[in-house]
Amino acid sequence: MKRNLLRLMTRIDRRSTVLATAAAALALMPVAAWAHADAHPDGGFVAGFLHPISGLDHVVAMVAVGLWGAVLGPPALWVLPVAFPMVMAFGGLLGLLGVPIPGVEIGIAVSGLVMGLMVLFELRPPLWLAALIVSAFAVFHGHAHGAELPAGSNALLYSLAFVIATGLLHLVGILLGETRRWPGGRRFVQAAGGCVALVGLWFLEQALP
Amino acid sequence: MSLPLAHLVPTGLGPWGDGMARLFLEPTELLLVIGLVLLGVQARQPCRDRLPLLLPLAWSLGGLCGLTLPSELLLALPCTALVAVIGLLVVLEVRLRPAVLLPLAAALALLFALAAGSALTGHPGALAALLGETVAIAVVSTLLCQSLAPPHPRWRSIGLRVAGSWITAASLLMLGWLIRHPQ
Repeated sequence: MKRNLLRLMTRIDRRSTVLATAAAALALMPVAAWAHADAHPDGGFVAGFLHPISGLDHVVAMVAVGLWGAVLGPPALWVLPVAFPMVMAFGGLLGLLGVPIPGVEIGIAVSGLVMGLMVLFELRPPLWLAALIVSAFAVFHGHAHGAELPAGSNALLYSLAFVIATGLLHLVGILLGETRRWPGGRRFVQAAGGCVALVGLWFLEQALP
Repeated sequence: MSLPLAHLVPTGLGPWGDGMARLFLEPTELLLVIGLVLLGVQARQPCRDRLPLLLPLAWSLGGLCGLTLPSELLLALPCTALVAVIGLLVVLEVRLRPAVLLPLAAALALLFALAAGSALTGHPGALAALLGETVAIAVVSTLLCQSLAPPHPRWRSIGLRVAGSWITAASLLMLGWLIRHPQ
């Protein structure tokens, strides 16, 4: 009886993993635009809000930050989403000032790949190292976005909305990561990490010359 | 009647409404107010109780002085940098003493209001617009101080720091934008 129950639970667990992977893959279907493709050339809150969520490479990396934070647990759960926007904005500042950073596209793609793998394999480095990894990738994301901040009249509204959207993507990742508390949740989070890594790999293949 | 002058978006509600809307449509001042209130909430009483009174008072005083200036003060760059610093203090949860925080808040409100007032110089409804913005600041700071009053659950303290990081991030991006597109 107990063995049958265990088998049933394993089957449900596997099925939920497959379903979760499919759902995550569907949710992450590309919208044929990179995060830093300038789809909204005018400034303003709506344009700033839509900019980061309109590109798959940025979206998966932001969600992965939240997922990895959830895997690492407190205090990384909130330290990573607090550190990321600030370092990203610093990268954006460099982009706006025209300071060149080589391999931005590759860095963005690698961020998805690395953080996806971290979630997939549930790697738990020390907090300082995790923050360093996330911050390093944040510079690439920020630089790409900063270089394309429009010369509209509402630059601060645009920037604020951009940062809020990025923060909400982290929150999505954290909430998805918190499903680890439920039965099958751990597999789901690992599957989501695997999807992120695959997307990162695809973008890496696109970015490499 | 409101004229479509720079820094005052016509809302159709007259200069009073235009002044109130200014706080939300050009949100450097809003970020400053939120940042200072968050600092006050982190610093606990009596900062939290005094800020809703202090900020509008300093704002109205600085705005009135700004209205008397002959030309607009172009302080966007230093003001944005200051907002970034305030956000950073919130992120680091620096608990400033009232003797430091309250004069700092008053000085920043005076400075920002001076620039805001100077931008409204020559506008027929400048005084009403300034009062409108002052009232908006009073409302925002009071609501925030009351709603964020301790005791804090742990998640709310984290939320304050996240908000601080967003303020800093947005200000840094704005700073870069201002350097790239000088006024």
